[in-house]
This record gives sequence, structure tokens and C-alpha cells, in this order.
Amino acid sequence: MTADLLIQSTIIGLSIGSIYILMALGLTLMFGMMHIINFAHGAIYMLGAFAIYYIFFQGGVPYFAAFVLAMILLGTFGYLIERSIYRPIKGGIEPTLVALLALTTFLQAAGYPIFGQLDKHVPPVFQGTRNVLGVMVSVERLMIIPMAGALVVGLYLFINKTKMGAAMRAIEQDKEAAALQGVDVHAVNGLAFAIGFALAAASGALMAPIFKLDPMMGEQPLLKAFIIIILGGLGSIPGAILGGLMLGLIDSIVATALGAEPAFLLSFVFIILVLLFKPTGLFGYAP
Amino acid sequence: MSSTLLLETRGLTRHFGGLAAVNRVDLAVAEGEIVGLIGPNGAGKTTCFNLLSGFIRPTAGTIRFDGEDITRLRPHQVVERGLVRTFQLTTLFQEMTTLENVLLGLHLHSRRGLAHALFSRRTFPPDEVARSREVLEFTGLAAQAGQLAKNLPHGHQRVLGIAMALAARPRLLLLDEPVTGMNLDESGRVMALVKTIRDRGVTVLLVEHNMKAVMGTCERIVVLNFGQTLAEGSPAAVSTNAKVIEAYLGAGLEHARG
Amino acid sequence: MRLRIGVLVVLALLALLIPPLGGDYYVHLFALVFTNVILAASLRPSLTCGQLNIGHSAFMSIGAYASALLAKNLAVPFEISMLCGAVLAAAVGLAIGYPSLRLRGVYFAMVTVAFVEVIRLIAQLWVPLTRGMSGLSGIPKPNLLGVTLATKASQYYLALALMLLTLLILWKLESSRLGLIWKSIGMADNLAQSLGVNIANHKLLAFMLGCFFAGVAGAFYAHFIRFLFPPEFGFLMATNILVYNYVGGRGHFAGPIVGAVFLSLLSEPFRGNAYETIFFSIAMLLTILFLPGGLITLPGKLAGLRWWKTPAALSPGATA
Repeated sequence: MTADLLIQSTIIGLSIGSIYILMALGLTLMFGMMHIINFAHGAIYMLGAFAIYYIFFQGGVPYFAAFVLAMILLGTFGYLIERSIYRPIKGGIEPTLVALLALTTFLQAAGYPIFGQLDKHVPPVFQGTRNVLGVMVSVERLMIIPMAGALVVGLYLFINKTKMGAAMRAIEQDKEAAALQGVDVHAVNGLAFAIGFALAAASGALMAPIFKLDPMMGEQPLLKAFIIIILGGLGSIPGAILGGLMLGLIDSIVATALGAEPAFLLSFVFIILVLLFKPTGLFGYAP
Repeated sequence: MSSTLLLETRGLTRHFGGLAAVNRVDLAVAEGEIVGLIGPNGAGKTTCFNLLSGFIRPTAGTIRFDGEDITRLRPHQVVERGLVRTFQLTTLFQEMTTLENVLLGLHLHSRRGLAHALFSRRTFPPDEVARSREVLEFTGLAAQAGQLAKNLPHGHQRVLGIAMALAARPRLLLLDEPVTGMNLDESGRVMALVKTIRDRGVTVLLVEHNMKAVMGTCERIVVLNFGQTLAEGSPAAVSTNAKVIEAYLGAGLEHARG
Repeated sequence: MRLRIGVLVVLALLALLIPPLGGDYYVHLFALVFTNVILAASLRPSLTCGQLNIGHSAFMSIGAYASALLAKNLAVPFEISMLCGAVLAAAVGLAIGYPSLRLRGVYFAMVTVAFVEVIRLIAQLWVPLTRGMSGLSGIPKPNLLGVTLATKASQYYLALALMLLTLLILWKLESSRLGLIWKSIGMADNLAQSLGVNIANHKLLAFMLGCFFAGVAGAFYAHFIRFLFPPEFGFLMATNILVYNYVGGRGHFAGPIVGAVFLSLLSEPFRGNAYETIFFSIAMLLTILFLPGGLITLPGKLAGLRWWKTPAALSPGATA
């Protein structure tokens, strides 16, 4: 691989990695709070992308506004899911996981009749290319990095500097103790769902101008997000960030060299190995 | 009373990260004794139990049971040799009745081979049912035989845990906080049960915070602090030991003596 | 008890009558339903042990490809190729299961999900062997004990026989002491360990058994549909098999059977289009929310309704 190709792959890898980080953050947050894996995350990513299609492309709303709107819509959806599905389920984690599997299956299948069979495209929001370190990279891809970065910073500030964020951290540490101290665990769980879904939607919204849209588009990002949170450790935010970057880079560089599918295969084999030797991931802790 | 050493640890150590939860502990329990293992919170008592019963591996040191090195054995292998434990947090088969819980304790323990397992019916053989009822009688739970374990009051649940452990035919019984959360009456009855268990030939090593129970039942006491043995001896000796009193800030012991 | 045997006899008769009465469409449909039953029932031991296993489709895939390739390239008869496929699936199950035993809860589930993807990708990328995304076609019809089962009806009976044999074996195991051990592991594995159960071995056995029968189902499927396409055996199928167990009911042996039959049949009118999956997933959600014990608890719940009760029906609990 030439140096140029390597640099380009790296930059694109950072771009993709930013998306992965957003997906992984949502997942890891939900795991840390409620010890569930949101199997519906991929479907929400997809919905975020389609939201951009309809609101921005079809609806003519300016991109940033559409972006925020998509996050709010799907965040609200997340809150509703917490109330209608997560909260009523008794019997532990397993039924919840299965219910989330059902939700994702439903959303993906419903996408076909609702969004239509034909592939949809969202045209690039940011035109042109820029010369970075001697290679040409599309501005669209470049813009993902600061936008995702802004969200990550926003999340960090929220979790560490607000009361709600403190409540979330308290629940993550010890749910019972938090409840005893007056934290409304149900409401905060609802918020976790909302944030998780919003982040997934943001990932999809950012990727919408880059890839073609179809109802199953969320499945791969979901599986990749799994890889990341396992690598980084379930429930660990720094782990999600680090893992997201790592996978973005691996994906981009290895995929350029070997092809997308072998890269995918390699990353799965890698996490199986990680799990077998360090059962809680690189930075994680046991549920 | 025989003075064969049933359990002996040498230099038993377990690290978690950089911290030694258990640090070079030498423990000895002779057959027929009731030994108490006490210490402030975080002293390493439950870690000791986990090490002895094979649930976690020691970082260093050895454990000998009846002369055999059991340091590296897994929990089911340790049970096979007669070392059975109970759990600090109530662990029962919640959705089954009291009788079924004890039956399972017996049944799971009975070594009858895969062939028997494959071709036998699931209904429990009458001899196992009879023996389970005996255990319930012995532990005072006969009246609760048909109740679901999850519906039992806390005290009965703890006793059921002991009953199940007895069903596994222990030679040494490790009781993890048997009377925690019980009132004076209940704890008195349970400790009396512990004495009866010993009189039936089962050696007992117990961890407890309830000083009155410990001092009144155990013949010998080992005190742990920060993972190390702080003192060892008769209840009287230990309760007047200055180092022990300091470790506990006097609260629990004063209470027991008074 | 008599009711149960009666029901079984009636079902057996119905099953035997489907080819003469139903015609090719129903024969094809039910052969696949039986395959789903094998898949669902063989996942049960794993689930009973408390392992959230979302990897079953990978082992079906292994059995399918192994049997197909042996028959197609080496003219191996079905009884041998199926066994080889099943044993290979079990062996791979051992390889992945043994190290994964220590993993709890979601971590184990993730390994199984990852594994499904690994197998799918291997099948896709190993083109010289599996023809990758073009699909493996030209798989011969089942050649059983020297006889080629050429008609759909004969293949249907093969499926029926395999299903009954599988269910018989699994039932025997579940109602033996082994089944009780599995159940105790699922209920409280620490406790089971402290009572002398070797939970590692027993969990592995449950897992491998499941893999074996998934391989059997895969082998039949390969010779029945006679075309294999890697993405078929992916996350979606693994999820479906899990769902058969949850919707049918986890508390009883008949649960996965009921779930597999019910869901396979009811999604049939929608087969092949998005509505099948939509319907499926709604059924899943509704069952989990409103009938958490699964369909198998429905008769009990109906019997519990006031207007059905007669004094005789109010019998005390079963235990001594």
C-alpha cells in the first residue's frame, strides 16, 4: 500500500471511527445503566438515516436542524420504548434482550413497505474535497469528525457536570444505593434509552449522505458496535471511544488492503479471542 | 475428641489487582471443632471461604483437606471430598419447595454415573425423599416442606441453606454468616443447631459478625484483619486481646461480653 | 396423562396423513416446520442451563454444508453425511464452547453472535469450497440406506422421523437426572456447584448436544432445499430459533415445539416478504409482554379463568 493510500485510509478510518464511537457510546451507556445490550441499536441508526432523508432531503429543512430533529425524535422514541417495553418486563435481562431483538426485527422489516423497495440516496451536504496531509478527502467525511466530536464532548459534559448525569453515574455504580438516595431510577433509565437512541440516530444521520439507504443498513454498524464495546469493555466510556477509533482504523486500513468482508471476519475473530482470554473485554467489568 | 487436622492452610494468599485480600493465612481446623472466623468488614473472611471451597484460586499458598492437597480443585471436586459451604447472600432454588431444595441437594450430590442419569426417571427415589425429610426434621423445617423457598421468611431461608449443605454429606461445613439478619431467638436456635450438627460428627468453620453467637458457640476463634491473621485462641482470650479490640474499636466485643 | 398420550397419538396420525391428503405444498411446509422443531428443541438444553445462546444457526450451517459437500463431491450416502455434519457441528461447538464456559450472561451471548458472523463470513469467503455468495447448488437428494428419496413425500417422512428421534432423545435426557442438573444450573449455578455439580462439563454437554442436532437439521435442510446460501444462516435465523423457545415457553419441554410449529405455520401466508418478519416480531413482542411464560402457559391460564372452574378442578399443589 502506498503512503498516500495509507494516509487516506487513516483519515477515513478516523471518520468512520467517529461514527462507531457514537454507536458504541450509546450501547455502552445503556449497558452500564441497565445491563442490557440494545439489540435495536442498528435499527435506530437506520431510522436516523431515513429521518435525514425525509426531513432534510425531501423536506428541505437545513441539515443541522434536521440532524437535531432526528436526534430528538428518536430520543423520544427511545424514552417511549423504555416505558412500554423495558419497564413492564419482569423476569430479568433475557426477556428484555429478546424483546429488543423483536423490536429490531420489526423495525427492519417494517422499513421495506414503509420506505419502499428502491434504494434511496441523500446527496452530500458538504461539497468538495480538501487536501489533508497531501491526499484528497471529501469534506463530507471530514465534517463527520468534528460533528461526532461535538456530540462526544456534549455527552461527557452531560454525564460529568449535570445533576442528571450524576444520577446516571450513581445508578451505574449501585442501583439500590442510588434509589435509596432518592434517584428516580425509572426516569433516569428512560433518559438513558433516549440518549442511547439519539446517539444511534446521530450516527445514522451523519452517514446518510455517504452510504445508500436501505432498511437493513443498520445491521453491520450494530455488529461493529458490538465488537467495539466488547473490545473496550461493556460499560466503559473510554473503552468505547478507544475501541471505536481502533475499529475505524482497522476497518479502513485492513479493508482497503484485503477487502471489506475479510476485515469484518478478522475483527470478529479478534473479539472472540479477546473475550476468551479476558472475559470482560479490555477495560470492562463483570455485570 | 479426635485431634486430626481436617483442614490446614499454609500461606494462603489471594490478590485482587494489587491488593492482597487474603495474605499468608495459616488456618487449621481439627476434626470435631467449631471454629469461628471473625474480623471487621473487608478482612477477607468471605474470600477465605471462596478460596477454601474452590470458587477462586489462591495466588499463593496451599490448602490441605484431610491430608490431601485441594488447592487447585474446582468447587464440585471440593464438595466431593466432603467440604461443603453455604453462601452469605441467600442462595436457594427459589421456585422450588423447601423439600425439593433439599432433595436437589441430595440428588445432585449422589454419584450414580451417566448411565443411571440417562435412563432413570426424574421422580426422586423414595430413599432420597426419606432422607430429605430427615434433614428437614433435623433442621426444624419439616412444617415448611411444601412451601416455595422464595416465600419462606428470611430466617427459614438461611436454615434451608444449611439444610441443603447438610444434604451434601459434609465432613467440614463452612457456614457463611449463618445468623446474619436474625433476631435473638432465631440466632439462638440456629447456633444450637450448629452445635447439634457438630455433635453428629460434622466439623464446622463459620464466619459471623454476630459476636454473641460466635462467642457462645465456637471453641476456637481466628481473627482476620486486612487479610492477615490477627489473633487466635479461645473466645475469652480473643475477646480480651488488645489488638482485636482495637481492630473492632471495641463495639462488637463489648456488646458480647456485656 | 391419558390426555397427553391421546394428544400425541392424534398428532402422530395427522402427521402421517399430511402427504396423502395435503399435496406438495403442505408436504414442503411441514417438512420445514419439522426442521424448525428440531432446531428449537435442540437449543433448549443450552437455555435451560442459563446460557443465552444466539448462535444456533451457525451450527445448522456447518451441518448443512458438510453434508451437502460430502454428498455432492464424494457421493457419501445421507446417513453418513448427516452424521458427519452433526459430529462436525458438535466438534466446532466443543471448540468454541469449552473456552466460552466462563463467560456469563451477555458476554456469552456476544460470543455466539460473533461466532454466527464468523461462520457466515467463512462460508461466503471460502468460495472454492462453498461457492460463496453464488450459493451451493446441485445438492443431491437424500440417499438413505441405498435408496434415493426422490419425492417430496419421502423426504417429508425423513424429516418426521428425524424430528421424532431428536425429540425422543432430548426428552429422555431432560427427564433424567441430567435434565435436573441442567435445570439446577440454570436456576442457581453457584448453588449447584456448591452441591457438587460440575457445571462446566454439564453446560458444555448441553451446548454440544444442541450443536449436534442443529447439524442434523442443517443436513436435512441441505438435501431438501438443495441450495445453500450463507446469509440464510445468520443472526436473523439464530434469533428466530431463540424466539421459538421464548414464545413457545421456556418452562416446559413442549415449549419450543409449540413455538416452532405455531410461528412457522402462522408466518406461512406471509412467507418470503417483509410482512412475514413483521408479523413474527410483533408476535414475539406481544408474547414477551403479555404472556411471559410463553404459549405453553396459555392452557393453564385459560383453565384458571373463573367460569371454567369446578370444585374438582381446584386441586392442591403437586408436592408432598
